[in-house]
Amino acid sequence: MIEFLKVRKSFGEKHVLRGVDLTVKAGEIMFIIGSSGAGKSVLVKHLVGLLRPDGGNIILDGKDITYLSERDFYDVRKRCAMVFQNSTLFDSMTLLDNVALPIRKHFSVSLEEARRRAVEKLALVGMEGQADRYPADFGDGMRKKVAIARALTLDPQFVIFDEPTTGIDPISAAIVDNLIRDLSVNLGVTSIVVSHDLRSIFGVADRIAMLYQGLFILDGPPQLYRETDHPIVRQFIDGQPDGPMEV
Amino acid sequence: MSAPAAQTPSSGPMSRSLAAVGGPLLMIGGELRDIFRMLFLTLYYLFRKPVRWRAVVEQGYEIGNRSLVFVTLVLGFLGMILIYQSAYQAQQIVGDLQLLGALFLQLLFREFAPTITALMIATRVGTGIAAEVGSMVVTEQVDALRMNNADPIQYLVVPRFVAGLVMTVVLSVFAVVVCFLAGMFVADRLFDVSPTTFFNTTLLTWGDLIAFLMKAFAYGIAVPVISAHAGLSAFGGSEGVGAATTKAVVNCSLAVVFLDFLLSGFAFVFLF
Repeated sequence: MIEFLKVRKSFGEKHVLRGVDLTVKAGEIMFIIGSSGAGKSVLVKHLVGLLRPDGGNIILDGKDITYLSERDFYDVRKRCAMVFQNSTLFDSMTLLDNVALPIRKHFSVSLEEARRRAVEKLALVGMEGQADRYPADFGDGMRKKVAIARALTLDPQFVIFDEPTTGIDPISAAIVDNLIRDLSVNLGVTSIVVSHDLRSIFGVADRIAMLYQGLFILDGPPQLYRETDHPIVRQFIDGQPDGPMEV
Repeated sequence: MSAPAAQTPSSGPMSRSLAAVGGPLLMIGGELRDIFRMLFLTLYYLFRKPVRWRAVVEQGYEIGNRSLVFVTLVLGFLGMILIYQSAYQAQQIVGDLQLLGALFLQLLFREFAPTITALMIATRVGTGIAAEVGSMVVTEQVDALRMNNADPIQYLVVPRFVAGLVMTVVLSVFAVVVCFLAGMFVADRLFDVSPTTFFNTTLLTWGDLIAFLMKAFAYGIAVPVISAHAGLSAFGGSEGVGAATTKAVVNCSLAVVFLDFLLSGFAFVFLF
């Protein structure tokens, strides 16, 4: 289980998180939604120590990880993988070596063993036939799938997806959505998905929390979002340019 | 009608003046602390962890080989200009140009070759390092490295540091040769100083060589670390990368000039 307790974060004068509380249960697919710049990515990066909070606490399976050292966060990052918005594959490496990298860095295994395990993960996303090609040879959708394969190499308990379907075609987006669902159903992986793709949100989410002006304003199952009268949530879900929401 | 807001202690003219001075000083202090911390970590990873030698060679090619034309052109023209101006002035005063080459060689070793080369490396290579690393920061590749248990300083900074250090020394030696030959050409053609007269090492001492190496090493350490620090502190999008590049060239240039001042003083007291 993941708990964010009164987490605060500012960048200079800009207060991005103003005391956020959120709990994500084991095996759950939690979507965090909100307008661009609302602080969704900022929040999830705290979980893996890529950002440090100004205040509050982050609890992972009962252990307070808020103030761990960078070295101690390596253990957290073995259990909690992240798929970045830009895929962040390393252009100088083949797809196979990109996926093998976490295994080689986190464990002392031979290159052959790391590559063998990487092929298995590439097969999960249907990219094993392209293992020896370079990221530059592929479009965003394919790169995203490889990034997901890389995130899965360490068999994580938790996976953070930062806008996994942004900028990719609808078919690739549907494949990514299915992968997220399969991870939860088949492997019991807990997923936190940052998104504003409504099709994904209502197709995959177990629970949705909407971040607005540094706080969560609504937290519940997709049905709650379909039925709510909350004016800001309504404006966001309906995609209305005019309304109470300050963008 | 609302009451006028009470003046807080921090809004007085004295407080504002102190804040105007203290704010930038604190910022400079923070930057220096971060740069020295990065230098310390770079040295730690260099001596305690495996070095990516392939990346060092690639960076060496980028920093060294790809700077050759730039260094040749700038130092070549600079050598010609310096000799033309100094020979012209010496002719006006003493009329004897016998020691022109010897003095020029001493000047190159003591000052011009390492310092001008370092300023050029700061311009060409420092901006490149800051832009490359900064782009990796804003596209989250540095975060991805951290997620994969790869420390960005070990992975990105150490190869650039080693390559930058070695290539600054190599390019400084190359700069001496180019600048001296260009000066020799002008001395021969315009002032009738033959190459055998111009090539005179009698004034060159071990102190000059030590000062040359000290400066080249110091600049070779400073430029990659300061540039990488600027890149790693980039934030935002392409605007942040642009700001990091500007910061790198300004900080590197200031560092080179400041180190030159310190090391010249040291050499003057202890070596010359």
